[in-house]
Amino acid sequence: MRRAAAGVVLGLSVAVGAPVAWQVTEEPVAAGASVERALSAPVPPSVPSGEGPAVAPASTLPPVTVRDAAPAATAPAPVPVRLAVPALGIEAPVDPVGVRGDGQMALPDDVDRVGWYRFGPAPGTAGSTVLAGHVDDRDQGLGVLAPLRDAAVGDRIEVIDAAGAATGWRVVSRDVIEKRALPLDQLFGRAGPPRLVLLTCGGPFLPDLGAYRDNVVVVAEPLP
Amino acid sequence: MTRTRTALGIAVGATGTLLALGTSPALAADTATVSVLHGVPDTPVDVYANGERLIDDFQPGTLTDPLQLPAGTYDLALFPADAADGSGNPLLSADGVSVPAGANATVVAHLDAGGAPKLTPFVNDTSAVPAGQARVVVRHTAAAPAVDIRAGGQVVAPGLANPDEASLTVPAGTVSADVVLAGTGTVAIGPADLTLAEGTTTIVYAWGSQDAGFDLAVQTISGSHSSPSGVPGGTAGLVDDGGVPMPLVALSLAGLAGAGIAARRLSTSRV
Repeated sequence: MRRAAAGVVLGLSVAVGAPVAWQVTEEPVAAGASVERALSAPVPPSVPSGEGPAVAPASTLPPVTVRDAAPAATAPAPVPVRLAVPALGIEAPVDPVGVRGDGQMALPDDVDRVGWYRFGPAPGTAGSTVLAGHVDDRDQGLGVLAPLRDAAVGDRIEVIDAAGAATGWRVVSRDVIEKRALPLDQLFGRAGPPRLVLLTCGGPFLPDLGAYRDNVVVVAEPLP
Repeated sequence: MTRTRTALGIAVGATGTLLALGTSPALAADTATVSVLHGVPDTPVDVYANGERLIDDFQPGTLTDPLQLPAGTYDLALFPADAADGSGNPLLSADGVSVPAGANATVVAHLDAGGAPKLTPFVNDTSAVPAGQARVVVRHTAAAPAVDIRAGGQVVAPGLANPDEASLTVPAGTVSADVVLAGTGTVAIGPADLTLAEGTTTIVYAWGSQDAGFDLAVQTISGSHSSPSGVPGGTAGLVDDGGVPMPLVALSLAGLAGAGIAARRLSTSRV
């Protein structure tokens, strides 16, 4: 009888304990500063003051700079071609990408490649450089950015551009955010200090939609 | 394509002319953003605002960077650059020019279709364009009849007359543009490669005269970009975080079953 009672207790503790222990020991989806915080920075006032050395003290007029208005070719910044996150075993070629017909960011079809949002900042320039890739694909299996969900604060990231120059980054934030709540204007921001934003999918898979509910978001700041 | 005739004409040399620039609701500062383009051939000028020299020795074909001017009214006057400062008769003037807070405008000194110099204020549309797109605005400020603007050989702005403008939103990229006399294949200006950067407004001015030659001037205003609407990143569900993994569910169920069996044994052994 005692054995049977012990069996009840043991069975119930396994039944309840297993999921509870899993829940408790599971890594939290977020790490480091919040994504918004990592991306927001005091924006320097873009409006120049009305006073300038070229203007008389009593003047209300700002100094004027003048440029040639003839059409000129602009030299494009070097594009990123390679992404590495050694701590996560991520090593991937990078392709410039734009937007799809439906307005979403275009991603390389190949899950082993990562897309750079070419309309946004290049690595190391002001604002957010956005790199994103598929976490998986029905035919191709797991994508190269699948380990991104395990990124830890302090992980180093390296981006190499077409000229062979490398920029080094350090993860300051990781989170899993519902797609409909994604702070897109901040993630794709073009002003403020340089940030590297890595994006893929995550969270629950919604079979009805054939898509994930959330995005995994990793924000990194430049290494000194 | 939208097409607007600038209804904000100003009388050259007249005093007391009121000029109202449109306001952009997006900007709520006490300043207005004003650029000045010089499109009168062969005539360097000094530009005065409220009797103060704003631009010294302003050369044809050049453009000021955007100026943040306190909102208010301005008396504008352009003097020949070689005249003694502020003396003599102005080449062009417009008094009481109203510059409301939040406006973004370009004031262009240029020739009208007949070749007489004039000042035309254009209001710049800086509203957002969709992600991946660029806005291109073409303005006819040359001493010439109506023209067609072509991009890649296709007419994109037909029958544009001085001082009208046409605006298009197009995919970002580089286009080869030229200007032809309206309805003809007679190229007046170009072709020139224009970089239409994503999320910017590129304003192209046709300026000049038959005698001095026709040319293009380009002004770029950034900050009209939009973000993509999302990042679609997976289709297989291989890293589904939907809940407790299956083996764990099985283990939990096994525990429940074990407890059930033990409980039954417990109850039977009590009888």
